[in-house]
Amino acid sequence: MTSIALRKDIPSAELEKSQIAFSHVTLDLGGKTIIENVSLDVKPGEFLCIIGASGCGKTTALRLAAGLYQPTSGHVSFDGEPMRAPRRDVAIVFQDYGKALLPWRTAAGNVALALETIGMPKAQRPARIDELLKKVGLPNHAAKYPAEMSGGMQQRLQIARCLAQEPKALLMDEPFGALDAMTRQGLQDEVLSLLDASKATVIFVTHDLEEAIYLGDRVVGLLPHPGRIGIDLPINLPRPRDQLTTRENPEFLRLRRELFDFIKASEA
Amino acid sequence: MNWALTLWRLASFAVAAGLIALWQLIANLKLVSPVFLPGPDRAWAALMRGFSNGTLLDKTIGTLEHMFYGWLVASVVGIALGAMIGSSRAMRSYVAPSLEFLRPLPVSAIIPVAIALFGLTQGMALFVIAFGAIWPMLLATVHGFGAVEPRLYEVARSLHMSRLAVIFKIALPSASPDIISGMRLSLTVSLILAVVCEILAGLDGLGHWVLLSARAFRSADLFAGVILLGVIGYVTALAMSMIEQRLLRWRTSGH
Repeated sequence: MTSIALRKDIPSAELEKSQIAFSHVTLDLGGKTIIENVSLDVKPGEFLCIIGASGCGKTTALRLAAGLYQPTSGHVSFDGEPMRAPRRDVAIVFQDYGKALLPWRTAAGNVALALETIGMPKAQRPARIDELLKKVGLPNHAAKYPAEMSGGMQQRLQIARCLAQEPKALLMDEPFGALDAMTRQGLQDEVLSLLDASKATVIFVTHDLEEAIYLGDRVVGLLPHPGRIGIDLPINLPRPRDQLTTRENPEFLRLRRELFDFIKASEA
Repeated sequence: MNWALTLWRLASFAVAAGLIALWQLIANLKLVSPVFLPGPDRAWAALMRGFSNGTLLDKTIGTLEHMFYGWLVASVVGIALGAMIGSSRAMRSYVAPSLEFLRPLPVSAIIPVAIALFGLTQGMALFVIAFGAIWPMLLATVHGFGAVEPRLYEVARSLHMSRLAVIFKIALPSASPDIISGMRLSLTVSLILAVVCEILAGLDGLGHWVLLSARAFRSADLFAGVILLGVIGYVTALAMSMIEQRLLRWRTSGH
């Protein structure tokens, strides 16, 4: 918690380009418009949080970014290329970690799944698995099955598998939504320090406003029915962030107020 | 906790011993003619005699071979076919009606067809046993493939896993509990059909032994054969459930 360094030191030329770009994206599903005319640029290394009332299409927006859905009109691109299918360098952390892990493989085996598919030679895998499990704080649990692990541990394991893909971008769908408050705060800090090391771009969907402000460089709020962008706030809180001082910062409180009012107005 | 289990075991052994004692009593009192009902003592003696001169061992091996080969063919074909049908919607709609016609067909009705095709041969037995034993596995595999967690397919998509990798790394292990319980059912079916084929086609095995003993009024030998068949059924089922426990460790492990 103490050693979260500043995570941005990306060349300024890189910042001109966007890594994930939505341009006039509309998505209809089952005759209903879920997302309407969303344009959004996410810079390399940026930590973008998406918030919004339930049913506003947060998860759908994330699935569009992942290539799991294709827009009805408009387009989504990654590094300037159209996103037609999921990419290996874009990892998805699902909310329901229990369903996204292979229950018949141990923690090490679940991480190995990603290493096998990226074609890492067998001899190199054990060292890499150890390194990844250590990174997410599961160094002594390699031989455990998911059913033997707590929710927080399972989510860490899913994150380890995603990091094994060596992603340029990490898409996280309410990853800590099902965890208790203490576990959640611990994981927030761990994610910040992990991403500090990997410099991956992040889109992080959450319904927890404080979590969004605490983690993000920028928070985008969606309006419901159909989902569209209602607010786009830069978060200029100093890094490294700290669970106590950051959350007591007057700017944090001001942003929380602004987002709270936004959600309230959007639900009215 | 453990002593309760031991007590249950003891009780079940006591019941078995009681039944054997009752059998001995009935035989001793000659309530049934000894020509038809030997006591456990005579059945045991026949068993020992059969093993000491090697005939019963040969018959047992014969039956085990019929059962095991048929089951193996049924497993390989059933799981492969089930995987093909279960992983493709098109295959399901093409093949399902034919399967629905074949499945309820009594295997006993297939035996004359098989005899006509293959003669009274080992091939006939293999075909009949495999045909009868394939259904539990085929249906379990199709069901297991249909019940794979959709989220795992999304994980596979995001990892760009090949179709083959998805089948071997996700669908098959996910369906394995279904498949293994299908294999256990099939094992029982295989034993039944092995005996039936031996009786009908005169193939070397316990089925044939039992039939000949009955015809020659060698009731002790008849009972020895029946006892051995029971032991085969019991031991193979036990082995199967041990394999099941070992393979499905991930399922039972929890806090």
